[in-house]
Amino acid sequence: MTGRARARARGRPPAQETTLPAVGAATAQRTLPSQLLLPQQPRAPPAVPEEPAGYGRRRHVQNVPQDQKEKRPKGLQISAGFQELSLADRGGRRRDFHDLGVNTRQTIEHVQESKTGTSGSVIKLVTNYFRLMSRPQWALYQYHVGYNPEMEARRLRSALLFQHEKLIGKTHAFDGSILFLPRKLNNKVTQVVSRTRNGDNVKITITLTNELPPSSPTCLQFYNIIFRRILKMLNLQQIGRNYYNPNDPITIPNHRLIVWPGFTSSILQYEENIMLCADVSYKVLRSETVLDFMYSLYCQVEEQRFRDACAKELIGLIVLTKYNNKTYRIDDIDWDGNPKCTFRKADGSEISFVDYYKRQYNQEITDLNQPVLISQPKRKASSLPGPVVLIPELCFLTGLTEKMRNDFNMMKDLSVHTRLPPEQRQREIGRLRDYIQNDENVQKELQDWGLNFDSSLLSFTGRVVQGEKIIQSGRVFDYNPQFADWSKETRGSPLICPKPLDNWLLVYTRRNYDTANTLVQNLFKVTPSMGIRMKKATMIEVDDRTEAYLRALQQSITPETNIAVCLLSSSRKDKYDAIKKYLCTDCPIPSQCVLARTLSKPQTAMAVATKIALQMNCKMGGELWTVEIPLKQVMIVGIDCYHDTLAGKQSIAGFVASMNQTMTRWFSRCAVQTRGQELVDGLKACLQTALREWFKWNKCLPSRVIVYRDGVGDGQLNTLVSYEVPQFLDCLKSVGKDYNPRLTVIVVKKRLNTRFFAQCGEALKNPPPGTVVDVEVTRPEWYDFFIVSQAVRNGCVSPTHYNVIYDTSKLKPDHIQRLTYKLCHMYYNWSGVIRVPAPCQYAHKLAFLIGQSIHKEPNLLLSDKLYYL
Amino acid sequence: MDKNFQEEQFRGMIKFTPPLSNQRYQFVKDLVEKYKPKKVADLGCADCKLLWMLKFCSCIELLVGLDICESVMKEKMHKLSPLPVDYLQPTERSLTVTLYHGSVAHEDPCMLGFDMVTCIELIEHLEESELKKFPEVVFGFMAPSIVVISTPNFEFNTLLPGLMLFRHPDHKFEWNRAQFQSWALETARHYNYLVEFTGVGRAPSGMENVGFCTQIGVFVRKYPQTSGFAQSEKSSETVYKMVFKAVYPSLKDEKYLQNTLVGEVISTAQIIKRCLLERLMSEHEECNHSTTERKAQLQPCFSKYISKLATEKSLESFVNGNVVYVPLKTIFSFPKVNQLCGTLERLRKLIAGQVTLSSDGYALMLSIEYENEEN
Repeated sequence: MTGRARARARGRPPAQETTLPAVGAATAQRTLPSQLLLPQQPRAPPAVPEEPAGYGRRRHVQNVPQDQKEKRPKGLQISAGFQELSLADRGGRRRDFHDLGVNTRQTIEHVQESKTGTSGSVIKLVTNYFRLMSRPQWALYQYHVGYNPEMEARRLRSALLFQHEKLIGKTHAFDGSILFLPRKLNNKVTQVVSRTRNGDNVKITITLTNELPPSSPTCLQFYNIIFRRILKMLNLQQIGRNYYNPNDPITIPNHRLIVWPGFTSSILQYEENIMLCADVSYKVLRSETVLDFMYSLYCQVEEQRFRDACAKELIGLIVLTKYNNKTYRIDDIDWDGNPKCTFRKADGSEISFVDYYKRQYNQEITDLNQPVLISQPKRKASSLPGPVVLIPELCFLTGLTEKMRNDFNMMKDLSVHTRLPPEQRQREIGRLRDYIQNDENVQKELQDWGLNFDSSLLSFTGRVVQGEKIIQSGRVFDYNPQFADWSKETRGSPLICPKPLDNWLLVYTRRNYDTANTLVQNLFKVTPSMGIRMKKATMIEVDDRTEAYLRALQQSITPETNIAVCLLSSSRKDKYDAIKKYLCTDCPIPSQCVLARTLSKPQTAMAVATKIALQMNCKMGGELWTVEIPLKQVMIVGIDCYHDTLAGKQSIAGFVASMNQTMTRWFSRCAVQTRGQELVDGLKACLQTALREWFKWNKCLPSRVIVYRDGVGDGQLNTLVSYEVPQFLDCLKSVGKDYNPRLTVIVVKKRLNTRFFAQCGEALKNPPPGTVVDVEVTRPEWYDFFIVSQAVRNGCVSPTHYNVIYDTSKLKPDHIQRLTYKLCHMYYNWSGVIRVPAPCQYAHKLAFLIGQSIHKEPNLLLSDKLYYL
Repeated sequence: MDKNFQEEQFRGMIKFTPPLSNQRYQFVKDLVEKYKPKKVADLGCADCKLLWMLKFCSCIELLVGLDICESVMKEKMHKLSPLPVDYLQPTERSLTVTLYHGSVAHEDPCMLGFDMVTCIELIEHLEESELKKFPEVVFGFMAPSIVVISTPNFEFNTLLPGLMLFRHPDHKFEWNRAQFQSWALETARHYNYLVEFTGVGRAPSGMENVGFCTQIGVFVRKYPQTSGFAQSEKSSETVYKMVFKAVYPSLKDEKYLQNTLVGEVISTAQIIKRCLLERLMSEHEECNHSTTERKAQLQPCFSKYISKLATEKSLESFVNGNVVYVPLKTIFSFPKVNQLCGTLERLRKLIAGQVTLSSDGYALMLSIEYENEEN
């Protein structure tokens, strides 16, 4: 798997399109035309009704009967005012990261009673969750506070209210109109009189509006606010959503990196309990500004490539400014802007960036010719509408660039510190608990609210499902399930469907003449046992220039050519892109690019040749192995997204669908999202063609369609449920009147904070591949489960979360879980189990190839082959 | 206590741009830039806005806030914590920010030895008894070199329509210019200070005769700093309660100095290594191939610098096997490194054990393997 794609393959909803800002305008207000064209995100919170007698501030008083549980679907806002007060406490973002209130399980009939599987052996697990304990009969009391005469200033309102501290108590949270108390006042409506310092009387009316049970959404939000307060009390620094300890940094001077250890946390209602999920988090910071980075890049690339290189390396990175504690994502670089440009301040006066930063923050800008960075704020309600302009010299880089991720040595140095084995990870998480338990102020705060955290991590039992046997040409292979890898066991065995290499090209440069010949010889050695018939390649020697490669391909490819192999002398992306683009669109044949360096080590040459032979075979439509799939007449679909941060910010969805019973052949298409168009429209078209193709292969239509949907960002679940799933259903309906297949849609999520540790006596280990968890840490309102499918050599394995958001299949949870795990065995580029079902990984590879190199839909002639591997 | 939104109510006729509260703070900030005090205290610091602005002034090493209301201070006190940048790029100056809960009518030894004490929109909130004690506490006990006091100018109120009596319900009084000036002059005389009057918030043209909206008195002590001995004599019991304390990372702290220096040394050595390897490679390529797509463009300033250094034989970096040797002396000659440690001996001492040195301790060793990426 390549790490490059990971960061970008994360979901971004289509409505978050961005536009270019006006030059130099820091907070210029502009209408964003693209946003007007796009349909509104359905997850926009409902407008908060203004109270008729309200005094100007927007607020929301809930006159909900006390016993009625609050179940508003979206926009679970405590109040506009409270959010204002506690914005920083809440991480400064209003997005619903936890997809609260998307209640999908209630629509799936057959899992109302139980959503748990049954098969496999029991395993004792520990997870990184702490139970939140509260007093029995605990509730949070929400009051509305009114003033007569009306008082404007929030602080004055507080001061007046807290003249009655005896009545209210010391523990409270008040935003100027809504008051939360841990205990109930004697009366439902309490009236008190306060005196201002100049002797005026103010009547204050405190009205109980809500009695919130511990599990109410408002309460959960409230816990999170309290917890963030606690983390701040522990003197942890907030960066983005997490909290870090700056006092014990890990420095990696070789790469100018500084790593801050810290924690990520969230409190949510899980299956049985409200729990705090806490995990270790590391923030990679760099003691280098964006300007420093640009300087050093300038020395490394040619002048004319400099701007592109900057864009490629910088766009999408998160920067931290020197003068405040905010992080911004770089969305663009404005080369026409510079620090001498002016912007309009909130008070209307014009000032240049140089003067502003000097005056406001005493920050000297030395390079007056640097370009400026553009960041589009995500939060609509931000006080500064429009794009934010940042000065490179005043921004520190955080995180890793693509280049760093590809730097094996750097990642190795880094992983020494950040990749913790299970026991160490558990210890680090335990440190958070210790901090909380040993800090008096924190304990007091918690006690005042009547809350506490369990002192030990949650432990429970999971199941390890049976390992899958690998079937290859009638032979069944057993392998060590601990390692989840069968490359040794199946080496040299005949493939299910070998494709002959009768007519193939090998293009190389003169310098790599020997390497090319060695490759051919090695292929001759490894292919016979696989059953691949191979003839001598047409060898073409070219200059090391992109045009030379393209000309050679143009001249030599005939309709009979099976595959074109290009031996590249460097990993220059433009050459690779040009070759791939030509061979995927204009002249559609499978292609294999190999870096000469990969073949250079004699000791690994045979292993590499084996791998290349397998990959080439897949690309030509061959099949390698399978596992037992009992389900008949089913089409499995995998979808993943790639979000292009450079070229026009288009998003690409990769779509693959299984074509046969053994899941060895996959049809693929992609949807390129253009401006003003929803990705899902393209997906609908993909599904339609996939069904047609299925019909061609099977002479019937599938009776079940199971969609594995990857690339869904936090907070996007509602969009998927209310928009994408109906479109799929529509599409199925449109196929024919009598056609009514069963549809299952499963959201696949890899980026999680959940960790499982297997308890082996006193020791904690990684749970073995095949571990399934569908209790305790799942969510009651979802039909969801976790699977640990892969094995890792070091560090902690991370489970994958599967959320079945739509299901008319009536398949038992156990069957869905087993099928999912089986599909994790079917990715042909890796002789082992992977983290996600193969269709997701194929879709990911496809979207990545299109997004990175091809930028448009490849020729459909290739669509039945795994050409994108 | 609240002073910043008091003017908000009078939006009708007069609007100050920037807001008057900001103008007051900017006035203090300008004064700090002028006098460069090291220790500054803000009495009645409320939401710590002024302290937050002042923490960016590089002359200040001790910043203290005092307020009678703990909850107001606590609300935004975390804005006074060090920023990530303060850890990433520690500066030479040390800075400590402390907040105390207490009254200006009480003396606490933690307020001794300040260069500047500011009381922005404070005195009008004091009860008569507190106001009486105030001069003795600030001018007599604390006795800083400079005191800044601002308060509303009652005469200006005629321009603020809809005002009943005072600008804020908590104001105990609002003085006209004569009242403030006579109080200030009397105080200055008694405690041996010089006072000058000014203000912020100009009246609209034609009505300038009412004076500034906010009147300010800047007091400068006439006698030199009292000796430490005299101060300790004055010290009494601590009565203030510390609410918040943040110590900023500084290069004066060896831990931060060492981290910064090691980082700088290694990155300097990496640059030298890169330049050296590129030079060797381009020489090598020229021998073999005439067609090279890629340039061997060195960072101009560095290449010149290095070639200049290379004239001295002992400062030359060289490659031996898979290792590049960069003499410490060469690294030391780079201005940033030089500035951080001062002497070569100190450099050696600080980086000992943190980097790989050649057996004679003469050069830094860097492995070449990293440079294999050919992009």
